[in-house]
Amino acid sequence: MTTIEGLAHGLSVALQPSILIYSLFGALLGTFVGVLPGIGAMAAITLLLPITYYISSEAALVMLAGVYYGAQYGGAVASILLRLPGTPQSAVTTLDGYPLAQQGRAGVALFTSMISSFTGSMLGIVVLVVLAGWLAGMATLFGAAEYAAMMIMGLVAASTIGSERPAKNFAMVVVGLILGCVGTDVNSGAQRLTFGQPVLMDGINMVALAMGLFGVAEVITNIPIAERRGPPARVSLRQLVPTRNDIRRMTAAIPRGAALGGFFGALPGTGSTISSFLAYALERRISRTPERFGKGAIEGIAGPEAANNSASITAFVPTLTLGIPGDPIMALMLGALVIHGVQPGPMMLQSRPDMFWGLVASFGIGNIFLLLINLTLIGVWVSILRIPFRWLYPAIIVFVCLGVYSVRGATFDIAMVAGIGAIGYALTLASFSPALLLLGFVLGPLIETNLRRALLISRGDAMVFLERPIACGFVVATAALILLPLVKSLIRSRAPDKSRAD
Amino acid sequence: MQRDYLDILWGGLLAAFGLVVAGYAALHYDIGSLRRMGPGFFPVSLGVILAILGGFIAVPAYWRKGDRRPFAWREMLGIVAALLLFAVLMNRIGLVATTAICALVASSVAPGKGIAWRLILALAVTLLTWAIFILALKMTIPVWPWSR
Repeated sequence: MTTIEGLAHGLSVALQPSILIYSLFGALLGTFVGVLPGIGAMAAITLLLPITYYISSEAALVMLAGVYYGAQYGGAVASILLRLPGTPQSAVTTLDGYPLAQQGRAGVALFTSMISSFTGSMLGIVVLVVLAGWLAGMATLFGAAEYAAMMIMGLVAASTIGSERPAKNFAMVVVGLILGCVGTDVNSGAQRLTFGQPVLMDGINMVALAMGLFGVAEVITNIPIAERRGPPARVSLRQLVPTRNDIRRMTAAIPRGAALGGFFGALPGTGSTISSFLAYALERRISRTPERFGKGAIEGIAGPEAANNSASITAFVPTLTLGIPGDPIMALMLGALVIHGVQPGPMMLQSRPDMFWGLVASFGIGNIFLLLINLTLIGVWVSILRIPFRWLYPAIIVFVCLGVYSVRGATFDIAMVAGIGAIGYALTLASFSPALLLLGFVLGPLIETNLRRALLISRGDAMVFLERPIACGFVVATAALILLPLVKSLIRSRAPDKSRAD
Repeated sequence: MQRDYLDILWGGLLAAFGLVVAGYAALHYDIGSLRRMGPGFFPVSLGVILAILGGFIAVPAYWRKGDRRPFAWREMLGIVAALLLFAVLMNRIGLVATTAICALVASSVAPGKGIAWRLILALAVTLLTWAIFILALKMTIPVWPWSR
């Protein structure tokens, strides 16, 4: 099937009314949870998982994907108007979005973020189609050694790229890997770290872990601070119109952000949050007037918003072609696919082209929906922010409980959410990254299985990772990612006065 | 002398956690060889790595100034209590009563005085929950205290 045929076929799938309605619903719900600080795409997708049992697999995936990228659009609204990131991906947008809002240009900032998100997503779709086809062809060259090396590189990249304290990030990844060991060992059947508790035999419930680390910890963080900033200003459609100067600044930043996001999104591990930070750093570095950043630079919104949306689309590349989830949300999507009997992997493009191309087409349609509903309903989204947080979070807590319970009907999991939430809150306060913990947890069992398989095949010879060219490339990249920050910190400790200054 | 006590504490805790995991796994599970890894190989190596990383976090923090952030004890305890109550009560007194109690406990740590709005909120959350999960999604869980 050629790309054109595929797209035509995909459109015929995605334009069915029964699919369209779920795409629209997902986009609306995603924007809603994205706008609300305290709950993000993760919580919304976990809550929707039980609903997907009742609908077709295409509709389910289209809806969940709509929530996922819809939340990226909505996240920027709270970032710009309240300096409170609606989602972690839009945290960077606060840096220049909020100053713009204070200068009375909130409308322009919102317009910039929407149009950048839209263009970023569209370019991301192109990258997805190209990369997925190419990678599906390459996937036959991927053995256990390559899978293991690639996932380890992903984890290392996620902890070191763009980070001040890589050791803290690494530690979170390793904690996640350890938590991933809990349960029955796939290879030997041994019970690991379960302490004789039958509920832990299947391992720690991923939904419980995600809800605790994100839903509950975010709610606790936000209760005392969410209402301190006053309600946001009203935004009318007319205020959205940018000046010619704004447009000129955007047009350069958006493709740069989208390209950067498209690349990092496709790597397993580094997702939309990291690419938005990198895009911001890139824009500031190449700008002729870096001093404008942090005071309301349009590029500081356009670059990161294009990057995080592009990355959230290309995150589907490793998920769909290799069966490796690039971020925790992708792991949930993978779970939803498996529930419906679709096994993502190199064969999916051949065996289920309707699924793949339908998804691609629905991404495009969903983003058009999002642009329309965000532009026309901007007043509605802003007024959602006027709802005091204290009216919302008790419902969030109840939904978290039921969402976790619905996965396997165990009240033990709800109690675990309580504990994980408390620990997650303490960790976030000490600036550890819960997202990396979850990433380690998701990839841990996959890494262990592939590592053991690779070494079994090579008869215990660790050189297998260097002898196979693709695996060797991943190993070299991993080593570079570890060594670079070490060298950097050594140089910094040589010149202690300089590091004090910044 | 100011130190980054938060990082010292967490570095220490993580290192201790790593050592405990490594020790426990080494004592209880077979490590095996590189060729045929036992179930203990992965946890033991991870525990050791975490212990080293904990050291990397804690030791430099000794000479560095840390920032202090307020720990929201009250809010944390309120939310944890609400979640635990939900876990304990759900299968005993049914969804409706549990939801009302959980929402009330959760909102008790919210800023703002008065009991009336909290009761109304609990009622609204209960109605919404019932409408979504029982009416629309038809989840099979006990709804009333007597419907077990």
